[in-house]
Amino acid sequence: MNMKRVIMVLLASAILMGVYAQGQNEGKPAQSVEPTGPVKLQVWYALSGASGQTFVGQAQAFAKEHPEIELELTYSGSYADTATKVSAALLSGTAPDVAVMAAAQLYTGGQGNFEMESLVKDKDFDINDIYPGMQQYGMFSNRICALPYGISTQVLYYNKDIIAKSGIDLSTPPKTWDEFLKIAKATQQKGGAEYGFDTSDGVWLIKSMLSQNGNSIVEKKGDKVNPTFNQESGVQVATFWKKLVTEGVMPAGQHDNSEKKFLAGNMAFIAATSSRISKWKGNTSFALGAIPMPGFKKQSLALGGNVISIITTDKKKTAASWKLVKYMMQEPNQSAFALATGYLPVHKSSVNNPAVKEKVAGDPLYKVAIGQLDYAWAYLSFSEMGTMDNLIWGTLDEIEKGITEPKQAMDKAASDLLKEMKD
Amino acid sequence: MAKKRKHTNWLGFVLLTAGSLIMIFPFVWMILSSFKTVSDVYAYPPRWIPSHWEFDNYVKVFQMIPFGRYYLNSIYTSVMQTLMEITICIMGAYAFVALDFPGKKMLNSLVRSTMFVPTIVTLIPMYVMVSKAHLVDTYAGIMLPQILSAFTLYLLVSFFSTIPKDLFDSAKLDGCGYYRILLNVVIPNSKSSISTAVMFAFLGHWKSYTWPLIITNKQQYRTLPIGMKYLVQESSSEYQVMMAASVMAIVPVLVVYMIFEKQLVKSITLTGMKA
Amino acid sequence: MSERKMTIGGKLYDKEQLRAATVLLLPLLIAILVLFIFPVFRVVFYSFSNYNLIKRNDFRIIGLDNFTYLFTDVKFGKALRNTFTFALSKLLLDTSIALVVALVLDTRIPLRHYLRSAYFAPVVVPIVASSLIWIWFFDPGIGPFNQIRAFLGLKPSQWIYGEKTALFSIVLFSIWKGVGYNIVLFLSGLQNIPDSYIEAAQVDGATNMQILWKIKLPLLRPITNFVIMMGIINTFKVFAEVNVMTPKGGPLYSTSLIVNYIYEQAFTNGKMGRACAASILLFAIIYLLTLIQNRMNASKTIDVE
Repeated sequence: MNMKRVIMVLLASAILMGVYAQGQNEGKPAQSVEPTGPVKLQVWYALSGASGQTFVGQAQAFAKEHPEIELELTYSGSYADTATKVSAALLSGTAPDVAVMAAAQLYTGGQGNFEMESLVKDKDFDINDIYPGMQQYGMFSNRICALPYGISTQVLYYNKDIIAKSGIDLSTPPKTWDEFLKIAKATQQKGGAEYGFDTSDGVWLIKSMLSQNGNSIVEKKGDKVNPTFNQESGVQVATFWKKLVTEGVMPAGQHDNSEKKFLAGNMAFIAATSSRISKWKGNTSFALGAIPMPGFKKQSLALGGNVISIITTDKKKTAASWKLVKYMMQEPNQSAFALATGYLPVHKSSVNNPAVKEKVAGDPLYKVAIGQLDYAWAYLSFSEMGTMDNLIWGTLDEIEKGITEPKQAMDKAASDLLKEMKD
Repeated sequence: MAKKRKHTNWLGFVLLTAGSLIMIFPFVWMILSSFKTVSDVYAYPPRWIPSHWEFDNYVKVFQMIPFGRYYLNSIYTSVMQTLMEITICIMGAYAFVALDFPGKKMLNSLVRSTMFVPTIVTLIPMYVMVSKAHLVDTYAGIMLPQILSAFTLYLLVSFFSTIPKDLFDSAKLDGCGYYRILLNVVIPNSKSSISTAVMFAFLGHWKSYTWPLIITNKQQYRTLPIGMKYLVQESSSEYQVMMAASVMAIVPVLVVYMIFEKQLVKSITLTGMKA
Repeated sequence: MSERKMTIGGKLYDKEQLRAATVLLLPLLIAILVLFIFPVFRVVFYSFSNYNLIKRNDFRIIGLDNFTYLFTDVKFGKALRNTFTFALSKLLLDTSIALVVALVLDTRIPLRHYLRSAYFAPVVVPIVASSLIWIWFFDPGIGPFNQIRAFLGLKPSQWIYGEKTALFSIVLFSIWKGVGYNIVLFLSGLQNIPDSYIEAAQVDGATNMQILWKIKLPLLRPITNFVIMMGIINTFKVFAEVNVMTPKGGPLYSTSLIVNYIYEQAFTNGKMGRACAASILLFAIIYLLTLIQNRMNASKTIDVE
């Protein structure tokens, strides 16, 4: 490398860096004078299959009633893909106006946009009809900046044939995990199941368990977020988790494979998302049942799924978007969406909705899922939620494989999380 | 091209055939699975042959996602990108092999460095650049950022450099300018290499996933790999539909391969090899 | 002769060549500038900053903090180790298998066309599909691989679910997927060797072994170098296989490669600055390795050095 070349390269890089340092803005959407005519809204939804179709159907119905609003509806992929896209789009000012995605709060409240908090005070909208736990699900820093839309919880499904073979009676389902453990073991001893229990989402399940044991996972300390999952109540849960493996009830590190095993008829119980109700019903080679999730000190279930939010900060578009959101969130509409897709209704008043009543009466699995909504709950949303999920996943792996003791593993995860939260 | 041996290489043949079974075994399973029903897929012990042949899976693919549109998009973008890439690379490779110019070493290092950067790394800066140019959700936005391929360039350089110098020299003596040499000497003598390069380039573009994923939001611009991923999400327990889609996705690439493979063989028998 | 030649930087060049070179290289140069130099400078810039994709923080230049983090991060260390292990195993196996297969394919055997296509077929299958298939193959309970092991009297393996076996399982998958590329490359190289050389040697009474070692392999040198160089570069850039088969980095983070680490930092944690720093390191590693490879082949390479 000769000197001349090195100098040229350095000079070029200096110039370019300068140019780009200046261009370092997160493009805010232009506040142009809107021409008169329909307001055009970009709506992205991370809903696939029947969910997407139902959503589109309702949105189009809305557009018919509101000719002054034009909707451009786009399926944006999985939750992860959508998040990446929205992140990238925010950088260049091409983000959608409305998004139905997971953790949208990060892109509204997380960016300082709490407009939703004021919008929900609209007299046409009854925020209090939404289950409190679900309201929490759309909050950031305890302020509303998104609304729960496609909500699910985990449900404890079971293979009726194995249970029958084991001679177990589930008409009074186990209330605690210890009781459950005994039952699961029995299915292996007497029912021929290879494994008694597993879950396709360990991180989700353990969050529910932590809450059941009185642990808040994280808490707000001033303007900082502090992990609490490594407190004594959390360690107890982790210890039980390990017990599931050491007692041979749950295989170690095979959660990704659990649904296949369950469908193949090798496993007695599985904790999987309520959305599986519509997918699995009638499609299993065995009779399918469900029981309410056991608890520790109390019953509690962590919420999952997606929320609907208004990303745009443009006044006119926000107003139009709110009209759309209000419409989609109206109890009959939202409940219809939930019923068609296997998600859960978010309104307390939905129990009076005849369609819901009918479904609950006719589908025992759904009945269980709806019954659990009373104690459904969401923990605090914060920017490093994704990181925390990853850390917990690794922690569970280490605990299950006996690499680290539960207490040490939880402590390590907590300190790693704190490190990540430093800027 | 058969090297003239006195007898057939039977040992080699047997070994190779055994190996080839390993190579195509998943392929076979994929095709068989594409005709299965849901219960076949999850059967335990596993079923190999479908209990009954479900052709409906193929129809379902088109019902679940706009497969046809994605297909066309893939064909269009892959062909165009390959054309642009090959043109740029033939020109560049020739310059590297036949011409002397200042900064050759530096350019070589620079080109080589472009290969060391995975797409993920430049994804965000590239995205910001492209969206500021208003090219999100456009064919240009999908295609242009992907036409730089040092791999193709070096492949051609490797092949071009095996062309004997005398061919160059005699052309120059005949008074050919450098462009004429490229067209009349280099290209005709590298048909098989160019075919190989085209094939790889096309394949690379056909499979391209990360960039098209982020640069397209609207359905009408999506390409096949992305469509397939969406299909997985749509049909997470309909494995067999996924397999049907995969079978259909492979067809054009195999076709391209077959075409260029023949070309490969043809041009080698035709070229009277230089002693 | 001053009209035909020109001196630049102390060296003599032919004017006509210079003119041709400018035209022929212009598209390439523009592509490199726009598609590589601009984005990469941005990446370099970010690597010294706390740029975050998820959190809205005060954008600051933080000097070498990202780099110090990487050097002390256990996960990054694991990703590095995994990458080197992966690269070494894949490179060795892939290149040698491809070479052997190509050599045999080049001889007189029946069904050559079918065999060639069979070895190339896996390259063509979309990664999502092939990963799904292999995930099933790797299933410890019902997958065919363990069935075969049982048939051979071996204990079942955990494949991608076991921390000791996961990486190697992915190596296997990766080789299956990629060896066809190298076979085609080696074949092209072999077919470029003039028949006359071989015939002349046979007339002189050379054995097949001698022909192999003294004629074929040496003449394959440029292609072999190319295959190894591309092998190094590509194995260090592997991302998709790992991401699809073991999305969270595998049991005990045993399959996460550097690119997966970068992806996780950027898109799960939002730490774009750190991801860029890791990318710079990756770049440096690949660069160094190719430099070493070049040094080792100094006199024989066809590359423009």
